[in-house]
Amino acid sequence: MITFDDLSYGYSSTPVLENVTAHIEAGGFYAVMGGNGCGKTTLLRLAAGLLEPRQGRVLVAGRPVGGYTARELAQRVSLVRQHPQTDFEFSAFETVLMGRNPYQRRLQNESEEDWRIVEQCLHQTNTWHLRFAKPGQMSGGELQRVMLARALAQQTPIMLLDEPISNLDIAHQFEILQLLRDINRQQGKTILLVIHDLNMALQYCDNLLLLHSGAVRYQGPIAQGLTPDNIAAVFGVRAQVQNGHIRLSPDTAPPCYPQH
Amino acid sequence: MNSRRPLNRRRRLLLWGVCLVLLAAAMAGSLVLGAARVGWADLWESPIVWHLRLPRVLLAVLCGSALSVCGAAYQSVFRNPLTDPYVLGISSGASLGAALAIVVGLESCLMGVGGCALATGLLTVAAIYRIASIGNRMHTTTLLLTGVCITFLVSAIVSLLMALNQDKMESIIFWTMGSLSAASWADVAAVTPVAAAGILLTAYHGRDLNLLLAGSETARSLGVEVERVKRRLLAATTLMVAFCVSACGVIGFVGLVVPHCVRLAVGWDNRAVIPFSAVAGGLFLLVCDTLARTLLMPAELPVGSLTALVGAPLFIWLLYKNKKRY
Repeated sequence: MITFDDLSYGYSSTPVLENVTAHIEAGGFYAVMGGNGCGKTTLLRLAAGLLEPRQGRVLVAGRPVGGYTARELAQRVSLVRQHPQTDFEFSAFETVLMGRNPYQRRLQNESEEDWRIVEQCLHQTNTWHLRFAKPGQMSGGELQRVMLARALAQQTPIMLLDEPISNLDIAHQFEILQLLRDINRQQGKTILLVIHDLNMALQYCDNLLLLHSGAVRYQGPIAQGLTPDNIAAVFGVRAQVQNGHIRLSPDTAPPCYPQH
Repeated sequence: MNSRRPLNRRRRLLLWGVCLVLLAAAMAGSLVLGAARVGWADLWESPIVWHLRLPRVLLAVLCGSALSVCGAAYQSVFRNPLTDPYVLGISSGASLGAALAIVVGLESCLMGVGGCALATGLLTVAAIYRIASIGNRMHTTTLLLTGVCITFLVSAIVSLLMALNQDKMESIIFWTMGSLSAASWADVAAVTPVAAAGILLTAYHGRDLNLLLAGSETARSLGVEVERVKRRLLAATTLMVAFCVSACGVIGFVGLVVPHCVRLAVGWDNRAVIPFSAVAGGLFLLVCDTLARTLLMPAELPVGSLTALVGAPLFIWLLYKNKKRY
């Protein structure tokens, strides 16, 4: 569904991604993992057409991302950003309604179907009660769920989610991951999810794309990917895998500060 | 079912009715009011109405509409509530052209001062665009900062011109403060097509403006061709402002405050904000200009100070009243 072909990208002079080649299967549920600053977000932004690769290309459904119009791409790929901008005064309902933009004609009002889809997406993400709330009146987790609802309203075959559960309480983390997996299973959507919790990833995702300093360290089934070796190499922590559960402990003693 | 739809249609229709009736009433009223007494009966025969007041009323409505729409569009594109139509340096550029024309003595030429103002205003904005664009992308913060900087630079040159030509100072000041007193049918003919096309184009992009307000990356991932829309809107608004300024000088405050007042009334959806700003802006400038020429008849007050005198308290009152909501 998505092919990263010898992809390189850098902000000004520092390279972020170098010669990344990976293939995302249609209908797969992928965890994108790696340390801070290893290029996870950049990878998603490249796939969403927000950045142009310095070298190589990204193919979505066999076509280079740059070959789509913004509207066509928005009908195929939705993106939930890690830090949504919130300094505007649109209600949650209006925000989710924006997700219907790729299907609407100019000067045309929202159709009955648009209203129905928005309503459904708000219910799915448990944000219906927030429909009149403005961003300033919502908590970080509530806002994150509204942004997910907007991406759902886009009804795209591919969903890119950049840490969509980082601000959620435990109950909502499970709820959202369950929702994503249901969507993946029932509607066959391809999902790329940036996530930090190894056990959550292991429990819900099928595949793993493990990045380490701008390169792919592992891609394949997640159970085989989250090995103590890989975890030690990427995150620098010691890991034990017992009965499909990962226990972590720091690899080195905490840094010693100079004594005065 | 009503709770399902936060966008209240009935309230908007009512507001449309109120605005249009007020605008029609204000236009009729300001044709009658003035230093020379004209009755309702001979309104259409009076040369004063036909040659002076009618073009002036029309120009006030056109410029008020265009400036407010530009302000609303800029505030969404730049995602900054403090932007007004002059933020990209067009007013200072145009002032420079006008001041030069006045100093050199082009006042008697057809479109002399206005034409020079138009040319230098557009040149200034073009220069700012060149400086602030990186590749084919425009960085809006750089654009704003460049605009502010160039504004200061060019204003300094205008001040120098005034200091060096004290005999012409009065007419330069009169121009930089803005006035509709020289309105003619030629001005109306020049501004009408630009303002109409610009307002329609901006309204056409109403939904895009909403998405831009949510951030340009968000807009892009929701299907807006961000760079193309920005370029198109900035070109249209620049032309609108340039033609307004060349016809009536730099009238401040309209483009800053009218869109905010409109947002308080109809919400943030630009599909409503743009058309309402057009009507409310025209109404506001018309009322201010009528007050400017009738309050101390036959003397005339600068309309630029009237817009601030009327607009600032109105806006502060609205802000105060809506403190919780805004």
